[in-house]
Amino acid sequence: MAVADHQITLVFPDRERRTLAVTDDETILAAAYREGMDLPSTCLQGWCLSCAGRVENGGEWDQELSRRYYRQDRDAGFILLCTARAHSDLTICTHRQEAMVEHRLAQGLATPRGKW
Amino acid sequence: MIDAAGAEFTTYYYYTILRMNLAGNEDYKEICEDARLEDRAHFELITPRIYELGGHLPADIRVFADRAGCPDAYLPGYSGVTEQGVKEVEKIQSGGAKPAEILEVLLEAERCAVRTWSEICDLTFGKDPRTYDMASRILQEEIEHEAWFIELLSWERDKVSRPSGHFRRGDPGDAPYSKNRGFYNP
Repeated sequence: MAVADHQITLVFPDRERRTLAVTDDETILAAAYREGMDLPSTCLQGWCLSCAGRVENGGEWDQELSRRYYRQDRDAGFILLCTARAHSDLTICTHRQEAMVEHRLAQGLATPRGKW
Repeated sequence: MIDAAGAEFTTYYYYTILRMNLAGNEDYKEICEDARLEDRAHFELITPRIYELGGHLPADIRVFADRAGCPDAYLPGYSGVTEQGVKEVEKIQSGGAKPAEILEVLLEAERCAVRTWSEICDLTFGKDPRTYDMASRILQEEIEHEAWFIELLSWERDKVSRPSGHFRRGDPGDAPYSKNRGFYNP
């Protein structure tokens, strides 16, 4: 098994914090599912925003696997966990689909509107 | 549900292109054709329900496509409407995309649809029987499509036999679950 490179802290809506070890080449959502965490997802291609989270206090990650991710999304701290690979330790507030849809609409960016 | 309808509509469009690029693989083309026409049937089944519930389709098709709940099922290697993307698609169409790569796109599209309609079933179960019934019918067919493409991709790419239980539809795009009242496509 690969050695974990980064520590991810997930902050759930009830403020429960859970930590997760990830490698550079796995997505955060895949690692969370491996650990049995219950997080929303639908398309698993970085498109639908079901898995959206928001990064607190900055950090490094790539969204190269995402089918649609804008510079403005990153600037606002939004992260799509299904296709995000961490390159530093990160603290992420989960369940931020609604906020990300509102952000996209406010920015005039294309977005699915559904909220699961 | 509008996002889900958008995904069915864009998939119908993109499957048209993917099907064209399966030239020479006539069996794959015909199965892709069934999935393509059945996705259109799904769009037509669910659209009246959107209006019944007080919603409506976006007046501009660009808005509709932008809010689709699943990604565009582009030709493999195509990266979108950019100068580079146009060159890529010209290269793909002159050289031919590999069938396995097209089957991967088709399979991912079906998997997104399965997850989407499962979510709608979960949301409506025990609360909105009419929408649930429609979503359930669509889900039945999306799961069949997924199984078909798993079978084809397994053989084409991995030379592994994973039978899906596929039988030929009675007519192309028969949609046995979602088009039992063919108002639109008799």
